[in-house]
Amino acid sequence: MAEPDNILFIRGMFSEFYARNADKIEAPRSFENREFGFTLFKENVMIRHKGFSRIEDLRDFIKKNVPSNVYYSSAYYSLPEAKMDEKGWLGSDLFFDIDADHIPTKCNKKHDSWTCKSCGLKGKGRAPEKCPNCGYESFEEKTWPCEICLEAAKIETTKLIDMLLEDFGFSVDEIKCYFSGHRGYHIGVESDSVLGLDALARKEIVDYITGTGIDAIFHGLSEVRSGSSKIIVGPSLDDPGWRGRAAKGAYDFLLTASADDLRSFGLRKDVIMEILEKREIILESWRKGGPWNVVRGLGIKGWRKIIQWGISLQSANVDTVVTVDIHRLIRLPGTLHGKTGLLKVSFPVSRIEGFDPLKEAIAFKGGEVKVYVEEAPELRFGDEIYGPFVDQVAVLPTQVAIFLLCKGAARVVD
Amino acid sequence: MPEAAEEVKKLDFSIESLLQPDYAPIIDRAEKRVVEALVTNPPEVSYDPRRYNENVEILSFPVAVILVSAIASEYVKRRFALAEARRAYNLLRAEGEEKIIEVAKKFGWRIKLSSVNIGLEKFDFSLHFIDYLRNTSLFHEKEWKLVNRPVIKGEVYLSKQDVARLLQEEIRRHIESKVDPKMRSILPEKIIEWAESLKNGYAEKIREETFSVGVFSPSGVESDCLPPCIRELYEAALSGRHLSHIGRFTLTAFLLGIGMDPNMIVDLFRKSADFNERMTRYQIEHIAGQRGSRTRYTPPKCDTLQTHGLCPGMDDLCKKIRHPLTYYLRKKRRRVSGA
Repeated sequence: MAEPDNILFIRGMFSEFYARNADKIEAPRSFENREFGFTLFKENVMIRHKGFSRIEDLRDFIKKNVPSNVYYSSAYYSLPEAKMDEKGWLGSDLFFDIDADHIPTKCNKKHDSWTCKSCGLKGKGRAPEKCPNCGYESFEEKTWPCEICLEAAKIETTKLIDMLLEDFGFSVDEIKCYFSGHRGYHIGVESDSVLGLDALARKEIVDYITGTGIDAIFHGLSEVRSGSSKIIVGPSLDDPGWRGRAAKGAYDFLLTASADDLRSFGLRKDVIMEILEKREIILESWRKGGPWNVVRGLGIKGWRKIIQWGISLQSANVDTVVTVDIHRLIRLPGTLHGKTGLLKVSFPVSRIEGFDPLKEAIAFKGGEVKVYVEEAPELRFGDEIYGPFVDQVAVLPTQVAIFLLCKGAARVVD
Repeated sequence: MPEAAEEVKKLDFSIESLLQPDYAPIIDRAEKRVVEALVTNPPEVSYDPRRYNENVEILSFPVAVILVSAIASEYVKRRFALAEARRAYNLLRAEGEEKIIEVAKKFGWRIKLSSVNIGLEKFDFSLHFIDYLRNTSLFHEKEWKLVNRPVIKGEVYLSKQDVARLLQEEIRRHIESKVDPKMRSILPEKIIEWAESLKNGYAEKIREETFSVGVFSPSGVESDCLPPCIRELYEAALSGRHLSHIGRFTLTAFLLGIGMDPNMIVDLFRKSADFNERMTRYQIEHIAGQRGSRTRYTPPKCDTLQTHGLCPGMDDLCKKIRHPLTYYLRKKRRRVSGA
């Protein structure tokens, strides 16, 4: 958390921003049926159960109170201002949250750091289960949006969008994409057909997206009699839905699988050797009939495990809790993220591939601020790279300075 | 079923007139339908083509619904709805594709004939995934999970048998919604008497649900009976480790479910780094149904825990159950009988 002086400075900048840009705050559809929530800079409490009849009223409220974070409900209520059980739930958009926090990445989160809340020991990467010094199990964590993390989140988002379009049949216009303002993406489905889905049905959709509970035997993998012998049949690459994904996943896995990977499935040594030696033939076999009977000694059980692994490569890693929660509050697009000073921005589905969050989420343009930076990893904003910083004073573009201040990694110097 | 209700309206008879001798075969068949639901296992109302009389079959159904409403028992309601729905399933399976579509559309399903081949399988129907999800939410078999079905452009591809099974579910819910215990107050005395005599006659068949605190020992937790997921959460809480929101909810709802005193649960969370007694107590009382919506929450089912990554892997008993509370109950019972 930022220091008191920093908070005053950040609040001042947020205030200036909203004074000029409040008209860019987006009104979610059925605006008057949404609940709004805010956190303020002063007290660390959430103001909830707010409702507005016009977007202008909300914009005025934000300009006047300058909240550190602004949220709206994915749900629609008849009385958004009433107590939770008296609001009258009318329905809820289908919502997905993809956050690098939940995704294993190649950077291994080395840029993140933690401080033990008991003894003050510091370390890099994700916080351990227990403090190696005192055994305490609670930490202050500092996380950073690095290129690798953001790219990993984008890949998961792309997989999710593909399923929403191809499998669930939603149209491009029904799918709303947002950069969250920190380390991930939000995807909302605004379609009348999903409004009434209960938590159980949403759970089934999440399980579909994450491949939870899937089994290859329901996607074409089986043993069939062929004359006097048995042969294995399986999914093909151009099959629709999870069936095709299962095949693609298995293909991708076999393309690069090492002996160690295969050993972890409990495959026999000779089978592993056979797979590695026949890699070319296996990959070639996908063109007709698939590789199911190419590897001697590899039966349906082994293939089931290989496909299962392939499925894990094809599934999209979304935060399961968010989608299932039909009363969730979500950051409002066009507002600032209190932990980064970056904007939550919306963009069309078609732009996901070329979307650069570290360019398009920049809220503060022009100007410089002199700050003392305690410690921060290398960061990119727009086309420039800043840092890494250790214990130094720097004059930085406003957005970079605000970002470091919001992160609690810097303080303003006169 | 919606058709049957309309038929009755057309005939325009009053509930009182039901008890006239002319209607005896209808009354008789209506009572049989309810009795069959109670005595068969799995429950199913019979269909005997030799004794079938279309008028009696159609008219006895709404009368049976009135009778079940008058009995005013959750158990009888659910049993009856299931028995009638299972009968419908068996009739539907024998029907042609067109008839199935016709029935499904009566319930507002977005369903089409398809005849699509995917791999070696042929699928006769495609159904909008929302209609599919509405009717599979209580199914637990892996084959019914959406992720294990072909889903293309919003449609789930299904066999005739599958569609009949989903219609059974829709019909079951439809019948349950038709049975209204509030109806009892406006029914003639004679019908209430009829319902009461039936209820008394089959008292031992009517098991009211007893899945309440009373079943569990209020003396405290028998920790060796805890399922692996709860054991993990319990130990995490004991050592003050951070629990996710849903982890905390699951543990609290579980412990309340087995009869643990809320004060003991407050103490359990005491070691947590961000412990706040007032907040913790409030949350526990909320889950216990003593605050807010007054709903008493039960912990999530096994597959929900799997979705949220709280299932640490199943042991042998886990494979036989779908809910962590059932695990505890079975293990405890087994121990008592084994002792």
